[in-house]
Amino acid sequence: MATIKIDGREIPFEQGDTIIRAAHRAGIDIPHYCWHPGLSVAANCRMCLVEVLPPPGRPAMQLDILRWDAEKKDYVPARKPKLIPSCQQACAPGMEVLSESSEHVEEARAAVQELLLLNHPVDCPICDQAGECRLQDYWLEHQRTGKRMKQEVVHKPKGVVFGPTIVYDAERCIICTRCVRFTAEVAQDPVLSVRERGNLNEIVVSPGRELDHDYTLMTEHVCPVGALTSSDFRFKARVWFLRSARTVCQGCSTGCNAYLDYDPRSNTPHRHRPRDNEAVNKYWMCDEGMLSYRRAVENRLLSGLVGGEEASLDDALEAAKDQLAGLKDDPSRVAIVLSAQHSNEDNFALLKLGRTFIGAKDFYVSGKPLGRGDKILMSEDKNPNTRGVMQLAGSPAPKPIAALLDAIKAGKYSFVIALGADIEVDTQNAKSALSKLKGVVTMAAHDGALVQAAHIVLAACAWAETDGTFVNKQGLSQRSERALTPRGEARPAWELVARLGKELGYAMTEKTLADVRRAMAPEARSESGPNAGRADAGKPEVSA
Amino acid sequence: MSKLVLDILKSRFGDDVLETHSQFGDDTAVVNPAKWREIAQFLRDDPRCAMNMFVDITAVDWLGQRTPRFEVVLHVHSLDKAHRIRLKARVGDDEGNGAEIESVFPVWKGANWFERETFDMFGVVFTGHPDLRRILMYPEFKGHPLRKDYPAQKIQPLIELRDVPDRFGPFGADEGMSFGRQTHDYRRDEETN
Amino acid sequence: MEPLDRDLEEGLLELPSEPMMLNMGPSHPAMHGTVRIVLELSGEMIQKADVQIGYLHRGFEKMCERGTWSQIFPYVDRCNYVSPMLNNVGFALAVEKMLGVTVPERCQYYRVVLGELARLCDHMICSGAMCMELGAFTPFLYFARAREIIWDIFEEETGARVTHSFGRVGGMASPPSKFFKEMVRAGVPRVLEFINEGEKLLLKNRIFLDRLEGVGVMPKEDALALGWTGIVLRASGVPYDVRRAHPYLVYDRMEFDVPVGTTGDNYDRFMCRQEEIRQTARIIEQALDQMPDEGPINIDDPRIILPPKNEVYTTIEATIQHFKIVMEGIKVPAGECYSYTEAGNGELGFYLVSDGSGTPYRCRIRPPCFATTQGLQQLITGLMIPDVVPTFGSLNMIGGECDH
Repeated sequence: MATIKIDGREIPFEQGDTIIRAAHRAGIDIPHYCWHPGLSVAANCRMCLVEVLPPPGRPAMQLDILRWDAEKKDYVPARKPKLIPSCQQACAPGMEVLSESSEHVEEARAAVQELLLLNHPVDCPICDQAGECRLQDYWLEHQRTGKRMKQEVVHKPKGVVFGPTIVYDAERCIICTRCVRFTAEVAQDPVLSVRERGNLNEIVVSPGRELDHDYTLMTEHVCPVGALTSSDFRFKARVWFLRSARTVCQGCSTGCNAYLDYDPRSNTPHRHRPRDNEAVNKYWMCDEGMLSYRRAVENRLLSGLVGGEEASLDDALEAAKDQLAGLKDDPSRVAIVLSAQHSNEDNFALLKLGRTFIGAKDFYVSGKPLGRGDKILMSEDKNPNTRGVMQLAGSPAPKPIAALLDAIKAGKYSFVIALGADIEVDTQNAKSALSKLKGVVTMAAHDGALVQAAHIVLAACAWAETDGTFVNKQGLSQRSERALTPRGEARPAWELVARLGKELGYAMTEKTLADVRRAMAPEARSESGPNAGRADAGKPEVSA
Repeated sequence: MSKLVLDILKSRFGDDVLETHSQFGDDTAVVNPAKWREIAQFLRDDPRCAMNMFVDITAVDWLGQRTPRFEVVLHVHSLDKAHRIRLKARVGDDEGNGAEIESVFPVWKGANWFERETFDMFGVVFTGHPDLRRILMYPEFKGHPLRKDYPAQKIQPLIELRDVPDRFGPFGADEGMSFGRQTHDYRRDEETN
Repeated sequence: MEPLDRDLEEGLLELPSEPMMLNMGPSHPAMHGTVRIVLELSGEMIQKADVQIGYLHRGFEKMCERGTWSQIFPYVDRCNYVSPMLNNVGFALAVEKMLGVTVPERCQYYRVVLGELARLCDHMICSGAMCMELGAFTPFLYFARAREIIWDIFEEETGARVTHSFGRVGGMASPPSKFFKEMVRAGVPRVLEFINEGEKLLLKNRIFLDRLEGVGVMPKEDALALGWTGIVLRASGVPYDVRRAHPYLVYDRMEFDVPVGTTGDNYDRFMCRQEEIRQTARIIEQALDQMPDEGPINIDDPRIILPPKNEVYTTIEATIQHFKIVMEGIKVPAGECYSYTEAGNGELGFYLVSDGSGTPYRCRIRPPCFATTQGLQQLITGLMIPDVVPTFGSLNMIGGECDH
């Protein structure tokens, strides 16, 4: 494998890698602002300058400079090597790069940092980026001095509304152009550009347009400083109070890997951030997915419902037991509805209850209706786990809800046990059909058609409140970590299934999530496969 | 501080001295826990080491970062030779089982209360200790507070707190130091997950 | 009740022979702070004693792991709360050892002077409290009055009388006040006057001497094995003073004697303490003479020290510096270190384990009086109950430090 040396350490590189990319792969951090692994190279911040030693036998490229001599108290001519931006320089085998070990590089970094902070407003107390801001981190690491300019800083527009989701602050902007490149290259909608020159530079939206494509929140994500802020997250929470859980976005079947940032003290989720995954979503997420963190708290069922009235979970289970009393007489009159919105573990538990214990033969699958997709990240199937449900159920494949409603009209079923709240078809139709049945029990986290139509509702946990496995449209099973503690009386759906099964008189043995996962096949629980979703896949799971 | 003691230890005990370092000037040796008392006795009795002054025994919990989990740390000092050494041994697994090590009470009497405190705070059992019971916490206390998976906000009142409105609780929803590192608040519910 | 006219033979009379259990403390005027001694008595002689501490355990070490390095200063203050400045200085030195920095010279002298003033308070109150428990109330009041003088100095310098939280990593919270040297130079002789007055009442008193001499003897080897340090160790005949043996700050430039006892009984401990008060006064005098009047107090490293407030409000760099240090904490390099100083009771050690972030991974306080109180059981077994009072008093157990 061809290697280069950085600070004396040999690291391998692949064909076409730049120095900074090879270092990024090896875990070495060369400070940078404008480079991003998913965007083209701009090389305008000059923070990633490194010293590349000349090939053996050749002299180094030196520049004539004037250096301050403290003894003579005057500038004296000197020479220093020309530093190379590591984001642009392609690796060549045997290249020797000095990053931290070169004093010229240290001086350069301090100088770049000083210039970047020259006109920067004193906004840290009100800036959302504080705590995750590159300017702060690099100042402490590389500069550590004050600036030498004594004049008034340049004032630029602050709080410019770019669009429905993004607010721009020109004074904080360092014109790294990451946002410009992102909207042009990844979102394929070149609506941002740079205006003016020199220290009057600012980012503007094309005249007559707004920043309104489907990936606007990514511009905020790539912005290394607090210039672009999301109106959704602005002033809501300080990042050092937030913990991050590694979850999977529930917006569509792409299954982008995400971080759910939540405040553990008040148990509220505050935002999503994309997690890097080359195979699934690279470095990005769509706006819909970014804002879908709200589903953990909005529209939630917090306790059971019996006949539309709120009841405690225990009461609801009791009522379910009564309603489903005639279940065992004729298993063929039971329809089980799985949910493409719920994790493999939940669906597996319901499958087991249906197949093994009740002996039902007919399975259906519910989920959100199809939506808009695009070629970048969004898929039309807005359910995160369609393939997972299909895989678990095997054959015969579960049928769509439309078939269920037809069958109910034909008088085939008396009982429905359902998971999930959303259905793809007309809700009025569904409600009237379902309400005619003897027993309809739904386990769901949110309010929805199946919930309104059901006689008994049990409150389930949302994805953020329990560990779960989701299989995306590519067939990769990914694990989502638990972030929040369950709200209200909600319990994980697999646990509700187990309790329901107990009420009905079946000996459901799964007591912990680990039990459920052990009962599932290895592909279903994301332990095998090319891209086991957890970063530390392969480590034994912590059993409860 | 000279490395003399470390060299003496290595030459006498060979493989039982697993690692040594002298970070920040403190000589440290990580040893095999099975030889704990023997090495301690050697340090006291050998005339070149002559560690006659006991300084401290404590433990560090490396849950989630290392197995074995606990690192029992002993500091001793020699008055005549004016050198010190830190002795460490690693015991215990992720659940806290197997955290046992020999007591050095027969070597230095001063280890008595320090070992009791380490037992109290971490649950490390010192075999051969004459009276290993809790020292800082009350006897009815459950758990070992300095372990990383013991939540810092947990209270175990001996007398039940009265259930009155506007009770002054230990921490409000947005109070308390919450920006410790994320590894520190292990949330192991008593329920399933 | 048996009728009294019954003839009882002598052999049938039963005298109780089990030992009596007596509980001293934890709420007890002589149990300094809160210590509970469960005594098994035969008459007045103590057969067995079980010293139980932990009533003032507040979970310092756990709390230290949940904040930043600078947030530990209020905690260590409340360890040995009669000489809080010594704890501050000890902890600051420990973190500075890990960072590999040394504070400027003026700060070192400043720390020495404030530390020694705190040591004066500690010794005076210990002696005073012991005397008060023996019934001599007046010396305690004299010493407490002397302590007021020192507390006035502290209030002027740090803003607080007792728990100052004045030390910082890399310096102190603020520079010495304008008349610092004058105040101290005026205060210390007055303190010594009070000490002399108090001693005059005590040292020729037959009862006082009888209660202290020969009581609570700790032999030298036992003291070392038990981990005793400080005055109690020196009273047992071991001339070990951390300031002499391993000088830190500017103690190597000071001339002072280390009082060493001969028998290791209560009287030796008392006299060592009194003599140390005088030696401390000597150190203060020399430090004040040598202390430069100008110069920085804090080191000049933006990673450790907070910037001046006026700059924080006007320049972005100072804001960032302030922000990083306060929100993320000082980034101490990963590793472990044990650093020790001579606190009021002996060798106060800090064993710090860092993982490279701004939050300590483990902060262990090695309290000198934890080791000292450990020896109490050995000391009082075989003594009478009234002997417990001066013995315990002479050990100077501070509840906050012992139980941390």
